[in-house]
Amino acid sequence: MWRQIASTVCTSGLLLAADADFFETRVRPVLAKNCYSCHTGSRLGGLQLDSGEGILKGGNSGPAIVPGDPEKSLLIQAVLRVHEKFKMPPQGPLEPAEVAGLRTWIQSGAVWPAASGPPVPASTGEYLIRPEQRAFWAFQPVKKLPSPAVKNAMWPRNNIDRFILAALEQRGLSPVAQAGKRDLLRRATFDLTGLPASPEEVDAFIGDSSSGAFAKVVDRLLASPHYGERWGRYWLDLARYSDGDLGASKDTPYANAFRYRDWVINAFNTDLPYDVFVKAQIAADLMGPKDAKQTPSHLAALGFHALGHGPDDQVDVSTRVFLGLTVGCAKCHDHKYDPIPTRDYYSLRGIFKSSEVREYPLAPEAEVSAYKAIQKQIEEKKFEIDDFVKKHGDEVSDVLATKTASYLLAAWNGTLAESAGLDAETLERWQSYLKDPRKEHPYLKPWFDLMERRARGENVPLDQVRKTAADFQSFVLAMNAEKKGMDDRNYVAMGGAKGVRDERTRQYTNLESLEIVKYYLWRDLASDPYKKDFVDFKGGVYHYGAKQIDRFLPPLLREHLTSLRTERERVEKSLPKQYAFMHAVRDSAKPGNVKVEIRGEPANPGEEAPRRFLAILSQGEPPPFTQGSGRLELAEAIASAANPLTARVMANRIWQLHFGDGIVRTTANFGQIGDRPSHPELLDYLATRFVESGWSVKALHREIMLSSTYQLSTRHSEKNYAADAANRYLWRANLRPRLDAEALRDSLLAVAGTLDRTVGGAPVPFDDANRRRSVYGLVSRTTPDETLALFDFPNPNNTSEQRSVTAGPMQRLFFLNSSFVTKQSRLLAERLRGDDRSRIREAYRLLYARTPLEPEVQYGLEFLQRSGGSWAQYAQALLSSSEFSSVN
Amino acid sequence: MNRRELLRTAGAGFGMAGLSSLLGAASKTEAASGPLAVRTPHFPPKAKRVIFIFLNGGMSQVDTFDPKPMLAKHHGEPMPGPKIKTDRASGSLMRSPFEFRKRGQSGLEVSEIFPQLGARIDDLCVIRSMYSDNGNHGPSLLLMNSGHGLAGRPSMGSWITYGLGTENQNLPGFVALCPGYPVLGPQLWDSAFLPSSYQGAYIRNSEREPEKLVRNLRNKELTLAEQERQLNLVSKLNQSYLSQIGHQPQLEASIASMEVAFRMQMEAPDVLDITKESESTRARYGDSDFGRGCLMSLRLAERGVRMVQLYFGNFQPWDSHDDIRVHSKLAGAADGPIAALLDDLKARGLFKDTIVMIGSEFGRTPMIQNSGLERVGNGRDHNVPGYTMLLAGGGVKGGMAYGATDDFGFKAVENRVHPHDLHATILHLMGLDHKRLTYRYSGRDFRLTDVAGEVIQPIIA
Repeated sequence: MWRQIASTVCTSGLLLAADADFFETRVRPVLAKNCYSCHTGSRLGGLQLDSGEGILKGGNSGPAIVPGDPEKSLLIQAVLRVHEKFKMPPQGPLEPAEVAGLRTWIQSGAVWPAASGPPVPASTGEYLIRPEQRAFWAFQPVKKLPSPAVKNAMWPRNNIDRFILAALEQRGLSPVAQAGKRDLLRRATFDLTGLPASPEEVDAFIGDSSSGAFAKVVDRLLASPHYGERWGRYWLDLARYSDGDLGASKDTPYANAFRYRDWVINAFNTDLPYDVFVKAQIAADLMGPKDAKQTPSHLAALGFHALGHGPDDQVDVSTRVFLGLTVGCAKCHDHKYDPIPTRDYYSLRGIFKSSEVREYPLAPEAEVSAYKAIQKQIEEKKFEIDDFVKKHGDEVSDVLATKTASYLLAAWNGTLAESAGLDAETLERWQSYLKDPRKEHPYLKPWFDLMERRARGENVPLDQVRKTAADFQSFVLAMNAEKKGMDDRNYVAMGGAKGVRDERTRQYTNLESLEIVKYYLWRDLASDPYKKDFVDFKGGVYHYGAKQIDRFLPPLLREHLTSLRTERERVEKSLPKQYAFMHAVRDSAKPGNVKVEIRGEPANPGEEAPRRFLAILSQGEPPPFTQGSGRLELAEAIASAANPLTARVMANRIWQLHFGDGIVRTTANFGQIGDRPSHPELLDYLATRFVESGWSVKALHREIMLSSTYQLSTRHSEKNYAADAANRYLWRANLRPRLDAEALRDSLLAVAGTLDRTVGGAPVPFDDANRRRSVYGLVSRTTPDETLALFDFPNPNNTSEQRSVTAGPMQRLFFLNSSFVTKQSRLLAERLRGDDRSRIREAYRLLYARTPLEPEVQYGLEFLQRSGGSWAQYAQALLSSSEFSSVN
Repeated sequence: MNRRELLRTAGAGFGMAGLSSLLGAASKTEAASGPLAVRTPHFPPKAKRVIFIFLNGGMSQVDTFDPKPMLAKHHGEPMPGPKIKTDRASGSLMRSPFEFRKRGQSGLEVSEIFPQLGARIDDLCVIRSMYSDNGNHGPSLLLMNSGHGLAGRPSMGSWITYGLGTENQNLPGFVALCPGYPVLGPQLWDSAFLPSSYQGAYIRNSEREPEKLVRNLRNKELTLAEQERQLNLVSKLNQSYLSQIGHQPQLEASIASMEVAFRMQMEAPDVLDITKESESTRARYGDSDFGRGCLMSLRLAERGVRMVQLYFGNFQPWDSHDDIRVHSKLAGAADGPIAALLDDLKARGLFKDTIVMIGSEFGRTPMIQNSGLERVGNGRDHNVPGYTMLLAGGGVKGGMAYGATDDFGFKAVENRVHPHDLHATILHLMGLDHKRLTYRYSGRDFRLTDVAGEVIQPIIA
């Protein structure tokens, strides 16, 4: 069947070869744009659509086309969305003209021009980036374009506006009115500092009628130290920053992580050129003489990697954050959508694999080595004591076991320990162990049977009791011997003392163990206490640990143990507070390439991947990196004006944070599966301006905020809304329905007059007494602050490209009932002065940057009258209203 | 008059239409609009709600509901066939330390550690042929919850609430219960890119008092009358603000959530207060976190919450690497409360349209694990090629086993069921076509079942 169709096509192909132009203009572009992300090398559904052969062979459901018969062709059924199973492409139906083109092409025999390139082998052979992949918009160089002509020449304030207005006019949309001064000031202040504008700032701006009044505001805000706290925090979202170890299985605090956080905040405040900002986070330790002036202070930037979790995390996070590419997807297979072969993944992995995390102390060498020496001593003392206690504890246990029968008999007879020459505590333990006959082993069953017979009033012969006790003891001693032999063999198998102590050097193997029921008896008699996998074992009858062993030791050994403990305490006390250091990285001693791991399995190595940059972002074959790990070369390749992504991605992030949506809405994915820019020329304009300004983030803020576009009101327009409900083309400003978590908490403190505006320093745990800005709060990786989390503070285990803005009822309960809001309400109420009307006015100025309307004053007065003048309750209502937590 | 009744009747005192209508709402299903409003399913459903009991950590199939005589026969021998890859070094085959017995009319064999579920086996559908993709807890938990092994996809409860809304507008549509947090925590009940109204509301069921179960549930300073007056004011302020800024649907939605919060204050303390149940009822569940969680799940389901997910315990209690015999303690803690829940769902007429899911992110190896990391050396490692999941109620056939693993219980070989298939089936029972329940995000239509999933028709009653 298949052969038959193929031969038909070959024939018709010959006949209609003249139609190659039609194919190149009407067919190939449609396939490339809509289908190639899934149906080329990655062959989803087994279907490969980039060759005549592939399209005829079809996928798992058979040939994609029937040449000469469009209606019978799966491809046409799928794009028309009439096929039961296939409705393609998934991102939305094709234009009718595109479908018509495909139809005509199939109708006339489906000629695939011979010279249009061979198909790329699916999984074997050299990975080739096809011309149409290189032609993808995001990989094109940033173009410097003139701003477009617009009809309404009065509206634009700067070039940004011309791009926006041109796109609006093209769609018959028109921008709404500009925002009022109060709204604008409030919006700008929240945008740049995450704090509400003060009444004085509002008054100053309202009173300034000069044409540059708003420019002055923007400059003032950009100069504020609170600017870096706001924008630095957004960067920390991307950097998956926390005050702990990302790789640890439980919360492991890093007391020095905040130095990276403070470096980021400071970099924004000092407008560190973005290219240097990027380079420093990848390779501050390697930055050359050109940047030498600043290098020492940039070492903290390496926290970006050092606070991460190994090479895989580093490849993933660096490429998503700096390049908007999901290179992490290429770990186990060539990227399904973007031209990123698996080899490229391992090229980058090799770079990070050739680097290692290290600390850079901020203290003199002598202080550091002294600290480490004491730390080592403490560890050694601990091991020494542990070993001593274990050794003698085991001896005690073994000796006690030889009297097992005596203990049982004493328990039976109710003999006092002293009179039987036994240890009183051990006898007590036996008595309590024997209280419950339900055991996980059967070996005491004969004994419990005797006990039960006696309990029933039977006369149990003492001989029988003695014999049962003696048998049990023999069993225990034999078992102990068996266990000892196994332990010795396992000790060797696990790699000796070092292996036992250190999980990393332990050689995993299948160890010997007692038969399980025997093990339970052994455990019940001799094991130390442990908690594991839902078991909380309190310790064996004969087990005496560190706190209980002393009385069994002869004086000489007891004194030795005491002196070991005294010594440990002394050393522990002598340990000073740990010196300050920065989490950073350096090149490892022997940098080298890694091998591709086929299907992501380390046990399945493939070819070696040279350390070098991504092929799609290089001209031709990327040259291998040669300096050490290659991190600096990587940093330079990323932070380069010639890189088509770096400037675009950052300009887009800044745009997104000002407008709610990016020009590319998927801010961390500029690839095939990502969004396409709504205003591609504007994005290139912004990227160009960004680079030309010396990568100045503040300059970009300024240009954006001084545009008419930024200063639009949020006003509704029926006509615009009907055509562009999502406001993709920015005919108005987007209302922010809710401040993000930190701005919300900080604003509550600010309007209550209690915000502590100290900049920088060690993290502060969140509680009602913490009055610092939220960016300085402790970020735990495992137990996030519940209130911040409630308001969508990002999970620090992953890079977060965009805050979600949720609005569930649990959030409103926070406003209704939390002790935090109640407290700030009371403090706010206490701040308000004057008669009732002026207090209400003052509250509105503080919270909403406006004066109340008369009905609003009336609502307040009525409420106060009814509530017996409770200003705190009134203040809480004002804080709970949507106006407080939204930005218009 | 208790607080709840007082709040109900107090409705008349509120000036604003929005608040008074919500307070006066006699019927809980009277949700006119909004994200949680009840929506019509794609086709007539068999079930209306889901209770998912997650035995987190990995319940062993061969020690519970998938008996393997060959395992006992070949105890101590290496598993035949090519060397297989498990997470850590695995040893030889290990028989189950527990006895299996035929139970119920159906005669399905159940391990002695689940005596009460054994007695109710005729109500349970035992899927013995589950398989999954990744041997680690994190990815497997995400796959079982969200149909994808990486974070960032909405969980099943979010999808279901998105598809159907919820029957009680005074409570969240999707509730997740855990005494603390399971591995990965809130990611497991995340709505991801779906609107946050569909996120699981987390309740810490180790607490007893409703005010501690849900944070900020009660105002400690204001009397009821004071708060009523205050909310009335907030409502006026919001209306005034809205009239100044014009058409802003997002903000209107946020204001609406204030109303749900207010109603939650009335309803949540009551529904979460298990002392409202008789002493004999409570006794059947026991006073453990899990027992109380099962009883809360019942009460939440009864009040119309669309999906309840109950985690057995913090972190991953069922992760018996060390000693498989500990499964008897775990099962001992789970068996009674689940049985009580099934009984009460029946007694209250809810069983027929409530799907109860009982299971883990994966199973455990038929081989022993003893690699030096364990104390006891009698445990089993993670097993993704084959494991068991139980379903009951809402349109599911009881007393049947579906699918099978190989002779040793290692790999599903007959009627294999991937979590995608399970999800497709649950959605189907709820009246939703898993291929039509889509959400457009980041340029493409997403589904709970990604691009896979087949409804398991043979288990549908």
